[in-house]
Amino acid sequence: MVDVEKLREIAREVVSREDVRQLIGYRQGTYGFRARPAFITSPEEVDQLIFSPACVNNLATYLTLEERLPVPRGQEPDLRKVAVMVKGCDSRALVQQMEEKAYERDRIVVLGIPCTGVVDMDKVEKRFPNVLSRGEIALEGDKFVLSFDGKREEVPKEELLADKCKRCRYPTPLVYDQLLDEEVSRFADDDYADVLALEKRSAEEKWAYWEEKFSRCIRCYSCRNVCPMCYCEDCVLDRLNPQWMRRSVDISETTAYHIARAYHLAGRCIQCGECQRVCPVEIPLMELNRKFYKDVEELYDYEPGTDAEAPPLLATFKVDDREDFIL
Amino acid sequence: MAEKNSDFEPNIVAFLCNWCSYAGADLAGTSRIQYPSNVRVIRVMCSGRVNPLFVMNALQQGADGVLISGCHPGDCHYMQGNYYARRRFMLMRNFLEYLGVEPERVRMSWVSASEGAKWKEVIEEVVSGVKSVGPMNKFQRRQLNW
Repeated sequence: MVDVEKLREIAREVVSREDVRQLIGYRQGTYGFRARPAFITSPEEVDQLIFSPACVNNLATYLTLEERLPVPRGQEPDLRKVAVMVKGCDSRALVQQMEEKAYERDRIVVLGIPCTGVVDMDKVEKRFPNVLSRGEIALEGDKFVLSFDGKREEVPKEELLADKCKRCRYPTPLVYDQLLDEEVSRFADDDYADVLALEKRSAEEKWAYWEEKFSRCIRCYSCRNVCPMCYCEDCVLDRLNPQWMRRSVDISETTAYHIARAYHLAGRCIQCGECQRVCPVEIPLMELNRKFYKDVEELYDYEPGTDAEAPPLLATFKVDDREDFIL
Repeated sequence: MAEKNSDFEPNIVAFLCNWCSYAGADLAGTSRIQYPSNVRVIRVMCSGRVNPLFVMNALQQGADGVLISGCHPGDCHYMQGNYYARRRFMLMRNFLEYLGVEPERVRMSWVSASEGAKWKEVIEEVVSGVKSVGPMNKFQRRQLNW
């Protein structure tokens, strides 16, 4: 695991740099085991920073979330860099953003964290409900060690590990300026078992499954807001003319929303699982994204977020793309 | 569930590219080729103009099937629009199938300006496909009768 002292030392060095505006990292949350994003602008604040298996957030989101107001006449725009701490999966979001020319590589400083897996907070809370005092999670060997209220509990890694980590292909960041620890070699692979199981069902069964899931949706748009790839300034959901999906919470409009959201991530979703994590009504959004991920890999041999030089999938084509469905 | 009787006449929305498929359908008309009248044509400048949201929206608004038709690969008036469309709708079709929308409802074809007879075959194929799966009864908008 990452040595916190080393992390803070590197972070202090980075924040002190003249050309760095702020550093986005993790800090202890207000209660329980949770960690939350920290926005560090001065070297004094660096001691807040942590990294543990509780640091689930994908901080790449914040790079594109920041509003860029027009610069008043006579003022210079703030062109200083933003430093960001990323795990393996989060680094793919950076690669994909750069592939789409969201910003240039020299606008960011990347502190890469080789990651051995993070916890799923829902699983932790199910196992240890109502922990209000601050607790800590650490990974020791193949066990998560949770310390809270003066107690120390050991839980096998498999039981609390997030689902995305069980199929993680890139535990070591693909892009970084400084690596905070030794590289981690790949410890899992993706067999698309969940997608394949759903694909085998009949059309009626599939729709019954999705109808139940979509009917729960309250249209809070958390899945869009948290997504590192959803950074269009003019989002199709906010647009009124044409209004592709109305705002009513209705199975037709909600289905339309989920089709549009998932399709806009076709060939772009980097499998960080944030959408599903933040969903308050537990819609398995990753099953939608993973369908595209699987198709894109099988049909076009393309894996999003792995090559910043490659052209975006749907902005390119091959003459011999499959066309057996075309009459 | 789906009423799969012979009375069912599906509504099919067809997005045809201006340069090939629309002219092909026009040729079928001027050649007096008879083909099923279930299809409602929307002319677009290129099959690459068709946004996958068009397909979703057509299904929402009561279409039982959607057809996207463009020039043959290599014949596109804009050189490459149909290649982009091919990728898009390959993914869209697989995705809708994954949600439980039968693949017969979303079809794509290449029809050139001289293929009036092929247009007839395509429409017959699409209409019989949609008839076999019955009316769309999944996520269309509820119609309010004021």
